[in-house]
Amino acid sequence: MDSVVSYRKRRGVEAFMLGFAIALAMAGYLLTHLDQSATLPPQWPWAFGIFSAVALGLHVVIRWRIPYADPLILPLVMLLNGLGLAMIHRLDLGSNPVMHSAELQLTWLVVAAAACAGVIIGLRDYRLLQRYPYLLFLLGMILLMLPLVPGLGKESHGARIWIHLGSYSFQPAELAKLVLSIAFASYLVEKREVLALAGARFLGVELPRPRDLGPILLMWLASLAVLVFQKDLGTSLLFFGLFVVMLYVATEKPAWALLGTGLFLAGAVGAYFAFDHVQARVSAWLNPFADPVNNYQIIQAQYGIAWGGLFGTGWGLGRPNMTPLPKSDFIAAALGEEIGITGLMAVMLIYGIIVARGLRAGLAAKDPFGKLLATGLSFVFAIQVFAIIGGVTRLLPLTGLTSPFMSQGGSSLVANWVMIGLLLVITHQVRRPAAAVAAMPMASLEADTTELIDVSSLQTPAPVSGVMATPAGADDVTGPIPVVEPTLTGNDLAGNDLAGNDLAEDDTAEVPRTPGPGTTSTGTTGTGTTSTGEES
Amino acid sequence: MSDLVVLGLKLGFLVLLWLFILFVANVIRTDLFGRKLPAAELAQATFEATAAPGTPRMSRKVTKQMPTVLKVTHGKQAGLTIPLAGGVLIGRGADCQLILDDDYVSTHHARISLGSDGYLVEDLGSTNGTMLNNEPLRVPSAFTPGDSLRIGRTLMSVEK
Repeated sequence: MDSVVSYRKRRGVEAFMLGFAIALAMAGYLLTHLDQSATLPPQWPWAFGIFSAVALGLHVVIRWRIPYADPLILPLVMLLNGLGLAMIHRLDLGSNPVMHSAELQLTWLVVAAAACAGVIIGLRDYRLLQRYPYLLFLLGMILLMLPLVPGLGKESHGARIWIHLGSYSFQPAELAKLVLSIAFASYLVEKREVLALAGARFLGVELPRPRDLGPILLMWLASLAVLVFQKDLGTSLLFFGLFVVMLYVATEKPAWALLGTGLFLAGAVGAYFAFDHVQARVSAWLNPFADPVNNYQIIQAQYGIAWGGLFGTGWGLGRPNMTPLPKSDFIAAALGEEIGITGLMAVMLIYGIIVARGLRAGLAAKDPFGKLLATGLSFVFAIQVFAIIGGVTRLLPLTGLTSPFMSQGGSSLVANWVMIGLLLVITHQVRRPAAAVAAMPMASLEADTTELIDVSSLQTPAPVSGVMATPAGADDVTGPIPVVEPTLTGNDLAGNDLAGNDLAEDDTAEVPRTPGPGTTSTGTTGTGTTSTGEES
Repeated sequence: MSDLVVLGLKLGFLVLLWLFILFVANVIRTDLFGRKLPAAELAQATFEATAAPGTPRMSRKVTKQMPTVLKVTHGKQAGLTIPLAGGVLIGRGADCQLILDDDYVSTHHARISLGSDGYLVEDLGSTNGTMLNNEPLRVPSAFTPGDSLRIGRTLMSVEK
């Protein structure tokens, strides 16, 4: 008897881990107050109640709609959110006068979790997203370039990656990464075969054909535009890296990854020599102490992390407020100060595990779109965490991205929770028992050999040129098939102009050139199939 | 609070944080390989998985209307019926449940699978495409009794 591998649902494990995550988040919150004033905050049951209700609500929605979803993603994300909230609250207390941004952030968490639940309930078959690659690409590009629109975008802290509508500000790149991941995945599912075609070989690596370079050059120019005009290396790296990695995953050609890395390095070095502000960013990264006035933020972050040391100062006992923008960009530095490198490593590991769970879903996905989407979403998440925590710890030039789920900011929270919703839906589809592919008794096909027809005796009087002039869109596969060249694209029903090789193979096979007696039946059915005779 | 208590709470928090990660690692370890399931149970399991709990009314209705066989209505194998049982792979390849010996059919041409409310048919990137009710099939679509599916020179439908 055949057997098939299936995964357990493990919803009980999810519930347990969620409880653990809530306990840790609450511990951070309560320890802040205990350490600072040795009393518990009066409103703590409210914070506990709302946070737990969010976790419980999502858990119930997952049990109801996608019971096979990955059991770890939700607890990990809730823990990051909880630690972020606790730290934002701690920074509220440290500011003078005391602020209330943690309450606002908790409200945004409720909104974001509702958006995630909406994705889970409304989108059980993620393949529906595959329909509009070009439209989504356009939308993503518009979002990405939106901060450059005069009046709408505003430069803050050296980078132009925000748009301002009245008093409300928004980082469109957060949404763009989601939209572009979907667009790239559906585009590459369609085009990967042609992009995988080999061109010249160079140093043992098969390079792609020059004519296929269009898309990667387009993305390269777009990311250079982000680097030069928005002055943000992280965002630029985010989108170009996303495209190159998805290209590599779709085609399995290392040449694309090498080409992409080379292009990015060339662009970055070129921008370094061409633009002053890029040089300023690099010098802030390599020699922050050369200009302590302008590099105050990054210097304070370094001091904060160093002061925290291995085990941190303890919740509420450091001075993370001395770093400008500690709640959004530099929340990793604030955490590093108060829970130490030991705690910061744990947080980075949690990010890493979320990425690994997403990549695992991509590995196990059976359909190419799910594979590419899960990989793309996980990877763009990984680059974002790498870019911002790398920037804060001075591994990379600093960039204005948020730390997903922890940083203050509603747009980032909603976009990332929607991403988690998508990822959960994909993991459900991947992990549930596969559709049965058991062997079944078949009618014998031995007698059904290919029908051979003497073509010369049946040759219709139609001139050859007439046959060749069959409209390119002819969708009647049962009619006469012109002898097409391998590159002809019109005969392809799937709208997939990449399968030229297959087409050529099919056409050289022995097929009846005219509708023979054995094939006319298709045309005479009552289902409205196109008549086979009309073209001959 | 005394410094000792503060230190204890600080280290206790970090220990719990890493304990959480160890728990996660253990879940990943035990989740590495799924469990084996006899193939016969799969159709049932697939159905349970797709018809999510909480919608019993819907699923009962769906089960009642659910087609059970795929019938070849026109073509060389006309008259052939095969059970749907969770899914059918159609193509020229030897591993397909419905093998169509036709030059217009790709090795793995199309797949019929059990969706959330009935069977879905999807094209697997075939060369010559799949037609559902004379429309080229671009995204997985519902395949219900009364629809006609054309692959190469073969017409099929699903029946109860």
